[in-house]
Amino acid sequence: MTPGRGARAVVIAAAFLFAGLSITLAAAGPLLPVSPAQVLRMALEAPRLIDYEGTKVITALRGGRMETVTVVESHKRPNMLRLEFLSPEDVAGRLIVDDGTTVWHYEPRLNLAFADRTLDSGLLSRDLTLLLRNYRLSLLGTDEVIGRQAYVIALDPMGSGVLRQLWVDRATGTVLRGEDRDEARGVVLTTYFSRISFSLNLPQAYFQYRTPAGARVFTMHIADRETSSPAALEARVRFPVLIPPVLPEGYTFRGAALTRFGNLASVYLRYSDGGNLISFFEAPAGSIGWPSFGQPVRVAAQAGRFVDLGYFRVLIWEQRGLRLTAVGTAPTDTLMAVASRIAAGQEQALVTDVSRRVDSDPATVRRLRGEGLTFPEVTRVLVLSRHLGTDLPTTIQFMRGALTVTDLARQLKVRPEVVKRTVQEAMDRASTVPPEAPASPPAIPALLPVAAP
Amino acid sequence: MTMNHHRAGQLLSAYLDGELPSPEAAAVQEHMLDCQACREAYAGLRATKGLLGRLPLAEPPAEFWSAVRERGQRRETPPARWRLSLPPRWMWAVATAVVVLILATVPLIKGTVDRLHATEIGVDLYVREHARQMSLEPLADRAYLNLVAGDADLVVVGETPRAGDGSK
Repeated sequence: MTPGRGARAVVIAAAFLFAGLSITLAAAGPLLPVSPAQVLRMALEAPRLIDYEGTKVITALRGGRMETVTVVESHKRPNMLRLEFLSPEDVAGRLIVDDGTTVWHYEPRLNLAFADRTLDSGLLSRDLTLLLRNYRLSLLGTDEVIGRQAYVIALDPMGSGVLRQLWVDRATGTVLRGEDRDEARGVVLTTYFSRISFSLNLPQAYFQYRTPAGARVFTMHIADRETSSPAALEARVRFPVLIPPVLPEGYTFRGAALTRFGNLASVYLRYSDGGNLISFFEAPAGSIGWPSFGQPVRVAAQAGRFVDLGYFRVLIWEQRGLRLTAVGTAPTDTLMAVASRIAAGQEQALVTDVSRRVDSDPATVRRLRGEGLTFPEVTRVLVLSRHLGTDLPTTIQFMRGALTVTDLARQLKVRPEVVKRTVQEAMDRASTVPPEAPASPPAIPALLPVAAP
Repeated sequence: MTMNHHRAGQLLSAYLDGELPSPEAAAVQEHMLDCQACREAYAGLRATKGLLGRLPLAEPPAEFWSAVRERGQRRETPPARWRLSLPPRWMWAVATAVVVLILATVPLIKGTVDRLHATEIGVDLYVREHARQMSLEPLADRAYLNLVAGDADLVVVGETPRAGDGSK
């Protein structure tokens, strides 16, 4: 080795040593100040950037008791997942493999396999926009989870649904620990990794499923692959599709599909606030009977049944020859109030009322309803589109979080502050034209103000 | 076609069973118009067949079938000519009625079974779809939601739901 080469090698080694030392010091040193929105963004982006494999402990409310489940969870970016359940005994050995196209569930004690399509994971920007609009986000501090530094953030829904606390790994953005709290029942779900390894370069083959010999395979393509509007679905089924007139604050239409299982064809509408989901299933009353369990209730004088599954609540009721089922994490009162508003069946009266109040033609209001919008959303879309001068599809995209204020400002070639101010003015105007307030006392606002991010 | 008395007498049984081609059947019919003896023979034949049809089916003794099997095994060559014996018309009518009844009843039974099945699995089916869709919500725990959907899978295909540990 020449003296020049030797000196260069020493310099390179020193540089590596310095870089390594810097990373170590940074990891151990004080946390830089970050905003809760930055931590949330990290957590949302992590699955698309990081591979990991770890043992997760899940404790969830199930059938009135807390159940603890242990699972080995492996994730390969962007959306491959492998879950091997270890305990309790009746779930031990269960394997879930999602290769990004098909999700497989294998049940070893029965030698049964189930195949279903992987669902489209959607848009990151929409998720972030909805979460920032609909949740009070706060950074609670930092904590250590399995020896790793984590930011602790809380997402408190402005409407109803579970309050979520997340321990977000400082280095990778992976959620190391989570806690979902129901306002009536306290903690309903906790999850934490008892060990985790990153940057393993997990092989693709680990996420490929092979059916064991002799296993019976059930193909569970129950829901349509494509999502469509309630109006489009109504043209395909022989019964009217009922769209919720009002929903808790922040919930917006996420999609609709036809689900089929045997003779049972149901329309499935789902509404999300970015962190919680309420699903509505509608089927002809004759195609399905009442479940033998649950608590009998009355929904706007109609017979109904309430089933408390623990983390999820289910409300079933009948109206106009239809059987409707709502599933969600929303409180019982909220589900009951939403159901009561649907059961009240005042569609035509509300169409007339809203079109008169916002000076629009009833056909436009009906068309927007057919897109799955609640009446407060219809009002806001019509008012906002006039204030901004945007067409209705663009305004709907904005309302649903698919477009941010910045996106809209870019389209309109104005500053974001101008859009933000106009949106606020439009929302103030829209909030003065509510439809009738709900009969029950739930936390469902007549009109839902939007805090534009 | 004209037919003599002897030939018509031979064909009466086949005529009664509707097995004759149209020209021969017409000839037998024409002959019977003029032949009192054949008319009486035909009436007697019809009465006998009617009585036979009303008789209950006798079960052969158990050894009958073993004897038939033995004979079948011993026989090396098939008979020179097989006579195809079709069931009488009334049996076709009964069989058709049974098939129609089955076709009419099966959807009703299936509909009832489907309704009963939908009643049993309806909630689980919907919870399954909800859990799957909720697993797309950002920050929702996919492991837990896949556990819920997996439990529902079992119920939907008719397996007993798991009990859980109830550890706390």
